[in-house]
Amino acid sequence: MPVLVRRIAILALLLILIQARPSVAGTKLTHEYDLKAAFMFHFAQFVEWPQGALPEKTTPFTIGILGEDPFGKSLDEIVANEAVDGHKLLVRRFQNVNQVDSCQILFISPSEKSRMDQILTHLNRRSILTVGDTKDFALRSGIIGFVISDKRLRLAVNLAAANAAGLTISSKLLRQSQIVGPARVQE
Amino acid sequence: MKTPRTTIRRKLVTAMMLTSTTVLLLVGAVFIAHDVVSFRRLLVQALVTRANILAANSTAALAFRNPEDAGQILAALKTDPRMIAAALYDKEGRLFATYPASIPPGVVPPASGPIGHRFEKSDLVVSQPVAEEGQSLGTLYLKSDLQELDDRVRVDAMVVLLAVLGSIVVAFAFSTWLQRRIAKPILTLAIVARNVSEHKDYSLRAKGAGDDEVGVLAGAFDEMLSEIQQRDREIRQLNADLERRVDARTAELEAANKELEAFSYSVSHDLRAPLRHIDGFVELLAKHAGPSLDEKGRRHLATISTAAKRMGALIDDLLVFSRMGRTEMRKTSVDLAALTQEVVQELKADAGNRSVEWKLGTLPTVQGDPSMLRLVLVNLLANALKYSGPKKAARIEVEAQSQNGELIVSVRDNGVGFDPTYSHKLFGVFQRLHASDEFEGTGIGLANVRRIVSRHGGRTWADGTINEGATFYFSLPK
Repeated sequence: MPVLVRRIAILALLLILIQARPSVAGTKLTHEYDLKAAFMFHFAQFVEWPQGALPEKTTPFTIGILGEDPFGKSLDEIVANEAVDGHKLLVRRFQNVNQVDSCQILFISPSEKSRMDQILTHLNRRSILTVGDTKDFALRSGIIGFVISDKRLRLAVNLAAANAAGLTISSKLLRQSQIVGPARVQE
Repeated sequence: MKTPRTTIRRKLVTAMMLTSTTVLLLVGAVFIAHDVVSFRRLLVQALVTRANILAANSTAALAFRNPEDAGQILAALKTDPRMIAAALYDKEGRLFATYPASIPPGVVPPASGPIGHRFEKSDLVVSQPVAEEGQSLGTLYLKSDLQELDDRVRVDAMVVLLAVLGSIVVAFAFSTWLQRRIAKPILTLAIVARNVSEHKDYSLRAKGAGDDEVGVLAGAFDEMLSEIQQRDREIRQLNADLERRVDARTAELEAANKELEAFSYSVSHDLRAPLRHIDGFVELLAKHAGPSLDEKGRRHLATISTAAKRMGALIDDLLVFSRMGRTEMRKTSVDLAALTQEVVQELKADAGNRSVEWKLGTLPTVQGDPSMLRLVLVNLLANALKYSGPKKAARIEVEAQSQNGELIVSVRDNGVGFDPTYSHKLFGVFQRLHASDEFEGTGIGLANVRRIVSRHGGRTWADGTINEGATFYFSLPK
């Protein structure tokens, strides 16, 4: 179970981090994926989807998980009873990229690491905010990638990919992120 | 008329100054209060606006857990020295970022508080929600000092103070000028009134006091003065007339009186000669024909003789009385004590073996005619002795006391007294309250007393009760 091992390792790292630095924010990173789930939810407020992405009010705002679900219950809990711009929030889990139809935010699980390029190519030009935490996710034309930098969870944003998907990312979000992609040389 | 203790000038100036200063201070206080209230509102507005901007800027930092960025956003506050502290709280109310970055505990609350603004001691505190797209992300807390408000109040107070001071100067100048216009006619009036009352000069006038109420007052005052002047003149004239008339009457009366006295003197004098004849011839008749007459005839002759003698005594007394009014008074010092003693010694000899207690008080020396005053004392003391005759133990007291600038001498006896209803008649000529067969006398003694005392400038009067004695008084001016 390599995933589990890594999770435990990260958890241990985070625990050390908390004890070593009782940050001003005082946030307890109880679980890396709890934080990521919260971030995923907040993307809904800081990203603008093009007109027509959600034509009807009744259409739910969907956060999808492609592949193995690392969030457990946390994403469902965060999203429960929330809405974005009048659209109810819905969490859906997909096993195959072909299943992905109506979806606004799609987390591509590390379990799909090997198929990442195909998946991203498949989703290219669809108004879906692709999110992932695999290495160089954003650099490899994912839109937002989770990065652990300076022992903190940070974001990497591929603006070209976002533009291609017709998404507008709030400057406030960009302020929190590293911009990566074709225009710039990244790590 | 006294000089007034506070002048109307000072009162006027004080009233005007007091009014204007009070009004100015009230206006100043209202101005400051209004300014403070509106400035506080302005401060709140500014801080809320700033909080809203900061909150909008820090949404992503809160959403994506970036306390460093939040700290940087808050650090922008350092350009404003009024900002004491700021803090961001996450959705759960936990402290997320602060300004300044390191902050002693207690400066900002450890957890987010209620939304809104409030004044705390010397600080203004604002709590604003942080939200993106309706999604609540946390709370922003801003704390600003009120230095600006204090400065504002200080400046306001300074402005008000300067305005008040300036206005006081202007008001003083104005009120001095105004009071001169108001007070001057009043002062003129007061001076005229004082001169009138001090010098009794009713010819003064308070003219030209202006056309206001003071002018009316001065006019009325002048009218009254004219009236008084007129009356004064009339009274003086009447007085002069009256005096002239009194003088004329007095002269007439004196002439009549002199005439009357001369007449009564000559009548008395002329009556004496035939009376002597009657008396003499009755005596001769008694000697010559006495033995040949029977008892009844002899008794008739005796009665005629007695009556003639009595009439002679009456005429003598009348002559004395008349002389009292005419003779010149020779005033010298008279020792009343010695005089009284002398008279008492004489009377004691007449009293024979009667039991009489004489009581003489302290008597002073007075100015007067000694022989006249002696007559007064002889009359009063002889009366006292005479009318106390029926008493077994007679007591006669002579006293003197000073009262209201005159000396009052009293002669008191415990004799038969008199009915006080007739006390006014006592001092008249030939007025008697007792029958002459009861007490002998011509009834002219007290009339003489009154005449002498009044010639000395004094008065006579008497108290008495039937059977309880009488007191006779006479006064002499000092």
